Amino acid sequence: MKTGELQISDLHHRFGELVALDGVTFAVGGGEIVGLVGRNGAGKTTTMRSVMGIVHPDRGAVKWSGHDVGQADRLKFGYMPEERGLYPQMRLAEQIAYFARLHGFDAATAAGAARTWLDRLGLGGRTADKLVALSHGNQQRVQLAVALVHDPELLVLDEPFAGLDPEAVDSLSRVLFERAAAGTAVLFSSHQLELVERLCRRVVIVESGRVLADGTLAELRARFPAQLRVKVGAPPDWARRLEGAQIASVDDEGVLLTIDPGTDTQGILRAAQAAGPVEHFGFETAGLVDLYRHMVSA
Amino acid sequence: MNRKGITRLVAEREITERLQGRLIRIMTVVTALVVAAGILVPSLIKSSSAPTRIGLVGSSAQALAPTLERTAAAAKTKVTVTKIPDDEAARADVLAGKLDVALIVGPSSARVEVKKSVNPTIRAVLQSSVDSVHVRQALAQAGLPVSKVPSALAPVAVTTVALKPPPPDQTARSVAAIAAALLMYVSLALYGTAVATGVAQEKTSRTAEVLLGAIRPSELLSGKVIGIGLTGLGQLTIAAAAGLIANALVHSTKIPGSVWVLIPTFLICFLAGFTLYAFAYAATGALVARQEEVQFVTMPIGLLLLVSYLLVYAVIGSPDATWVKVVSFFPPLTASLMPARIALGHVAPWELPLAALIMALSIWGMIRLASRVYANALIYSGARLSWKAAMQLSEAREPAPIRPYPS
Repeated sequence: MKTGELQISDLHHRFGELVALDGVTFAVGGGEIVGLVGRNGAGKTTTMRSVMGIVHPDRGAVKWSGHDVGQADRLKFGYMPEERGLYPQMRLAEQIAYFARLHGFDAATAAGAARTWLDRLGLGGRTADKLVALSHGNQQRVQLAVALVHDPELLVLDEPFAGLDPEAVDSLSRVLFERAAAGTAVLFSSHQLELVERLCRRVVIVESGRVLADGTLAELRARFPAQLRVKVGAPPDWARRLEGAQIASVDDEGVLLTIDPGTDTQGILRAAQAAGPVEHFGFETAGLVDLYRHMVSA
Repeated sequence: MNRKGITRLVAEREITERLQGRLIRIMTVVTALVVAAGILVPSLIKSSSAPTRIGLVGSSAQALAPTLERTAAAAKTKVTVTKIPDDEAARADVLAGKLDVALIVGPSSARVEVKKSVNPTIRAVLQSSVDSVHVRQALAQAGLPVSKVPSALAPVAVTTVALKPPPPDQTARSVAAIAAALLMYVSLALYGTAVATGVAQEKTSRTAEVLLGAIRPSELLSGKVIGIGLTGLGQLTIAAAAGLIANALVHSTKIPGSVWVLIPTFLICFLAGFTLYAFAYAATGALVARQEEVQFVTMPIGLLLLVSYLLVYAVIGSPDATWVKVVSFFPPLTASLMPARIALGHVAPWELPLAALIMALSIWGMIRLASRVYANALIYSGARLSWKAAMQLSEAREPAPIRPYPS
């Protein structure tokens, strides 16, 4: 099943003098997991709040399956804000069911869905506990249950992995994969880039309220200069005069060279062999961390 | 689900949460008890106002008995008269509490003996009785024929004509006005603060942002106000019922007709006043950065409520003063002052629809203003805001000037 598609186009927003969004544009398709990355203050939260109708952007459009998002559409969205918040004195089952009902479930369906999610997240035995009685990690799970309880077609999760232990990270990852497989569009932000890399088909990098890059990891890598690692039993001086290649770093693992497009790498291999015995010669696969650093610093 | 359903859900949650709290149950019982006690206790005190027991010592004093009883009846004071043989016995009875007053009459003077003090009315009754007997004896000794004495001493009828008579149940009306104003003050301050606290809780616990992802600020706000308002109305109804039951138990206390009119008036005024104040309290509660600031930021509203309560005493003092009439139309004061004026019976028929219109317009204005402040302040995570700053937050949402993209 493929559900709707979220389209964010040309969002502009200022808080007084501060420009928060400066033309943010990207889309999240049904069944797709998109990671939103960028430094603090880059505009991730304001973008997500605009989608949820909490911030009303000065300009631009947020569309769901081609039409402007209205209040009725938002009932099909699930949201987990960066700053978590639920009623501390409310019992878990009642609380989750309440949010399900706010999203249009009738009382019986809401109660059933609340029980299902509490069971799935390992809180089945604590349905009558008040939220405040739970550990931080368990409160996070309840927050996730609130975002998921009404089977949303779009999930907007602001830093969902922050503060989770590795086990909880795995459990949340499984849930996201599962929802995406069921056709849900998933947009989440994170500073944990290796997680984003593992979970997302597509990554959107924002900086100063603008989209710096938007694409699959392979597409982003294509925009990143290739890097060649060469280890030679000789000092790295041989690499200083190479054409079309600059030394990025030198360490015990040899020399890391940034290669200009179109450079003859076989020439580099010959230069290395001339300098001494070659122990290692190969391209490095840039991770999202490298891509991100490269793009944000560029 | 339609949007009304959402406001209703929010209101239901408020009511459920409040009914689960122990404090509200205690408060409801205490309020009901206080109201019942307010009716029961005065009536018990009243029924214990026993007649003053007067002991007449010796034959001269005992001869005063008929005169004394007549004078006391004229002064609307209840007395019982006992004849006591001598001073010693009378003194012992007074000290033992069997008598309130002992009267000893000598040839040219009289003495009143009491344990601690004597009620001035009783003292006047005694004085006048002794005087009249003394005059009668003097006239007889002076040779006036005995048959002429009663007519010489017959009282001259004095009629009192009140030029502006108060209504017959004036005291009851004043008491009703004060009670209504006090109840209004306490309940508006109590439930208003509950609204502010609830809003601040949702803001500081960040629940508001999760909620606003699904529902509109106006739905959240009105659901909260309705939920807390209905809880308050329920509590007031229980208190009113306790009062009526207490009254039924004490048959002697008559509720004047004006008070019956006052109950529906009071409930309507409570709803109007609560709506006006609750929205102000809600917007104010949204301004805080920390829960503890609620008390401080809502203080001006609390003071305004206190002033509106205290002004009721001015209304009772001079219900016809022009300034009293004018201020009772000032919306923040209407909910307290109008029931008081109605209780006192000083409201012209045209005044009520006018007051209702002004109140309705100000409620409308307050809802608009408060909703805007509320919606802006609720998701603002910085330091405490002022109303003005919260309004300006929304001005920052006006479209930004279109600029060329920096290259």
